[in-house]
Amino acid sequence: MRDQIVISGVSKTFQTASGPVPALAEINLTVRRREFLTLLGPSGCGKSTLLGIIGGMVTPDGGVVEIDGMKLDRPDPKKVALVFQDPGLFPWRSALENVEFGLELQGVPKTERRRAAQRLLEPVGLKGFEAKYPRELSGGMKQRVAIARALALQSPILLMDEPFGALDEQTRLLMGEWLLKIWATTKTTVVFVTHSLQEAIVLSSRIVVMTARPGRIKALFEVELPYPRDLTAKEATELRAQLWGFIREESLQAMEGRV
Amino acid sequence: MKIFFWRGVILVGLFGAWEILARQLNPVLYVPPSAAWPAVLRIARLEAFPEFPTHVVVTLWEILVAFALAIVTGLGLGFVLGLRRFLGEVYEPILSSLYAIPSVVWYPSLMLFFGLGPASKMAFGFLLGFFPIVLAVLAGIRQVDPHLITVARSMGARPFPLFWKVVLPAMIATLLAGVRAGLALSVVGVIVGEILGSREGLGSLVNYAYGLFRTPDYVALVFAIAIMVFAIDGAAGMIEARARRWSG
Repeated sequence: MRDQIVISGVSKTFQTASGPVPALAEINLTVRRREFLTLLGPSGCGKSTLLGIIGGMVTPDGGVVEIDGMKLDRPDPKKVALVFQDPGLFPWRSALENVEFGLELQGVPKTERRRAAQRLLEPVGLKGFEAKYPRELSGGMKQRVAIARALALQSPILLMDEPFGALDEQTRLLMGEWLLKIWATTKTTVVFVTHSLQEAIVLSSRIVVMTARPGRIKALFEVELPYPRDLTAKEATELRAQLWGFIREESLQAMEGRV
Repeated sequence: MKIFFWRGVILVGLFGAWEILARQLNPVLYVPPSAAWPAVLRIARLEAFPEFPTHVVVTLWEILVAFALAIVTGLGLGFVLGLRRFLGEVYEPILSSLYAIPSVVWYPSLMLFFGLGPASKMAFGFLLGFFPIVLAVLAGIRQVDPHLITVARSMGARPFPLFWKVVLPAMIATLLAGVRAGLALSVVGVIVGEILGSREGLGSLVNYAYGLFRTPDYVALVFAIAIMVFAIDGAAGMIEARARRWSG
């Protein structure tokens, strides 16, 4: 049983004031246990919608998603945890209390969840920031707290929706390196959404290229380069060129608003 | 220290200006502080109004009942309308337009319904206090960042914890501000009600002193009411600070 997530025939159309907008059409995809899968595509290709459907946040119009053979009809932290582009920290809670939130919902006793949260802030490089409130943290720190909050749930699958999209380039690169370390130690499956070619190449063990609206799967790449990855290596630049070839047309469409 | 010093200076300056101004004018209509002070003492010694403590208790009781009713119905209706979007869309414009009508116009009918006793004052205090509370709840719910709800839901939060751990703390500042405004207006409602027509309470004493041209007593009553309101507001402020600490 290598396939942890099986997505079959999933489609979704949003009803908006200006008529129906098809977001996803007939998506078939499997995600393997402990892989780092990236959904790559232009803005508005339904990547986030697909992630939401996997996480049980959005109900598909057609098709099913099964996680370990079970359908998920509402968010279940025992299966998946989500991280969004906007960290969405609770401003009235300290960093530590934010990380505790999910455990609190599960009724974990205070001392125990406090200890667990403290343990998580260390690998995310926020030891000593436990008592800080979100407004006192930088963008990168906030996102690391948000990731620690998701990791606290100890879900076997981590869904990440452009988690570094709002960060500056340097922070973004460092966060990527850091995430790979986390991935290596926690052994979770990661499904990662991005529109950055570079981010996809540095992080992923597999890359799914999606088309512009409605989102379809256009191509699948196995990335067998060893970590940590050197973007200037020949294989990496070749992969980049290939990916760009696929994604260029889609981005052009998205840019010209023909979606 | 500096702040207290300047506050003191301003206070002394105000009273000084009042004293100087009032002395030039008709002493029956304009009472200088030097004449008000003996009146305050006469109230404190229960010489001016022997039943003074009873009146204070009546007023405080009316305020308490009015405010308690305003809180219970204001929060209750606010949350029902705020969390059930359809009901909110139907009723909120009605509430807002009712709030726009000067509330004093309802007072005669409240007197007709509830009589001259404390009940009509409670009803009026309730009516005035209710609106800011219900509208604050509605505004507070609207200002909760929907992304925080999404995040909490993604972590498996069900409706009840979602309310207690996300919606309520996210809106607490607005809610408390509304409750405090409601308290201030409940006090206004009760005292205005008493002044407009009653036989008990501080407002009735105000009306009595004013009607008999006992102007120094009237001024002294104003001081007494001010002290009472400061005390109530101070207590409310302490409770508010505590609730804010709870929400972090």
